[in-house]
Amino acid sequence: MRDQAVEKKERASQKYKKRSSLMSIWRQLRKNKGAILGIILLVLIVGVALGSPYIFNYEEQVIANNIKQRMQPPSAEHWFGTDDMGRDIFARVCYGARYSLAVGVIAVMFALVFGVTLGAAAGYIGGVFEDVTMRVCDIFSSIPSVLMAIAVVSALGKSTFNLMIAVGIASTAPFIRVARAAVLTIRGEEYIESARAIGSPEWLIVVSHILPNCVSQIIVQATLRVGSAIISAAQLSFLGLGVPAPAPEWGSMLSAGRAYIRDYSYMTLYPGIAIMVTVLSLNLIGDGLRDALDPKLKR
Amino acid sequence: MYRYIIKRLLMVIPVLLSVAFIIYAIMDVAEGDPVYSVVSADASEEEIAAQREAMGLNGSLVERYFRYVKGMLTGDLGKSYVSKRDVMQTYLTRLPNTLMLSFVTMIVALGISIPLGIIAAVNQNSIKDTVSMIMALLGLSMPNFWLGLLLIIVFSLKLGWLPSGGYEDGIRSIILPAFTIGAGLAAFMTRSTRSSMLDVIRQDYLRMARAKGVPERKIIRKHALRNALIPIITVFGVQFSNVLGGSVLAETVFAWPGVGRLVVDAIDQRDIPTVTGALVMTTMLVTIVNLLIDIVYAYVDPRIKSQYVK
Repeated sequence: MRDQAVEKKERASQKYKKRSSLMSIWRQLRKNKGAILGIILLVLIVGVALGSPYIFNYEEQVIANNIKQRMQPPSAEHWFGTDDMGRDIFARVCYGARYSLAVGVIAVMFALVFGVTLGAAAGYIGGVFEDVTMRVCDIFSSIPSVLMAIAVVSALGKSTFNLMIAVGIASTAPFIRVARAAVLTIRGEEYIESARAIGSPEWLIVVSHILPNCVSQIIVQATLRVGSAIISAAQLSFLGLGVPAPAPEWGSMLSAGRAYIRDYSYMTLYPGIAIMVTVLSLNLIGDGLRDALDPKLKR
Repeated sequence: MYRYIIKRLLMVIPVLLSVAFIIYAIMDVAEGDPVYSVVSADASEEEIAAQREAMGLNGSLVERYFRYVKGMLTGDLGKSYVSKRDVMQTYLTRLPNTLMLSFVTMIVALGISIPLGIIAAVNQNSIKDTVSMIMALLGLSMPNFWLGLLLIIVFSLKLGWLPSGGYEDGIRSIILPAFTIGAGLAAFMTRSTRSSMLDVIRQDYLRMARAKGVPERKIIRKHALRNALIPIITVFGVQFSNVLGGSVLAETVFAWPGVGRLVVDAIDQRDIPTVTGALVMTTMLVTIVNLLIDIVYAYVDPRIKSQYVK
């Protein structure tokens, strides 16, 4: 009887512990209608991105020219119409989700790993290293990010991978700032001092005590940054510096549509909507996460 | 105050030098070895070396960089590979167009965002607030060049009200590009104005003003907005760099003869001296504008100054 009571109590406390971290974020997020809409939209877009190779034949439907079918307005057969090469715009928009999401996520992962490492090190080590890192960070933020990315792409050459690198470099500075600020506030806490007192090595303190405590801020930053990275990537492709043709990238589709804007304006409509909906879903989730993690900000 | 200004001015020198170096080094990688595109195929070693020296490409990266900076101090950014004209002169003829576009953009952005942010904050959680916030979110999620294309479709092609590009029509040509860049900025600023106003509205001195019987309009205008504006100004300063970045896209969409299009065209033609010069000058402009804003800000808020001068 007594054992059961103890067990029940333990189970309750375990439940409580779990709820206090991930669950409580989810409970907050669930109340936010915008965030739910964002999650639904993002799941749909990711589904389209993952599913499109099974629905469309890349060689025949996405990149093959079909001049007979050129410039067809939206119809039952071609939902979004066809482009100047006679390619189905619906198939291309769906396939384009793969490029945009991949470029956005990989560029931000690059920025995150690089930025968080530098920022956390700067905040933890301090001194000259911190000064130099933060100055370099200031310098990078004073270069407009589009121009920075343009310079990097023209240095490395046009390719999808270089586009990721360029967008990644242009979005590193915010991660350095966030990680450093988070480490600075946590560094002074008592549990860090006690970890040091029992002889934990410095790197272990950073990895297992400091970083987990700033994960939430970094996740919020990363979610919002993926959205802006997708826009930057589309901008570069629009300027002809991104994913090379004939790949169905949304920005380069808009660039192609621009030439026919007078007579075939539908060509510029759908890729833009696709970019906007994708970025909107990420912004909704990012805003929702920020409110859920820091209720003080919510009003 | 003077000590603060001098200190900030001195601090900006290494920043400017490093910005120039980063761009110079990146563009140096981009360049490859342009000598071979100039000399004939059967040129001798000496001819190549002479040509290299004539183009200012001999020596290590650091040597060339210092030569570049030395030239920059006398207003010499080298010559364009394509037009053979002086890069500085080309840049200076383009710069006023971009500055004018940025100026109108900022007026558009402020004109939309401050009233919208105030209305949203004053009527918090009302339908007006929700609609403003949804508009701001859409504005933030929309790629600016796509908005530009949509504006062309609606206002030049369908309605025929405004020109779809060029600069011949004066103020009429500037409206669409300014909205294209300004929409995203306005969206961002609406959100910051709202949250800054919400912070201020809760302060005791507003309750005090209300208790004294000051009319609500006057409370918002004189007491709330003035205090809320301080953080908004800083945000606005940081955004100047984004406006210049955005102008690259808007100038391409609307064929606006500014610095942004100069860079894009020069990249197409692999005209490296022009790209380097324009990028270096633009980032310097951003740095200097940010410095000026910091100084103005320190003038307004003495707490900032005390961080630098003890």
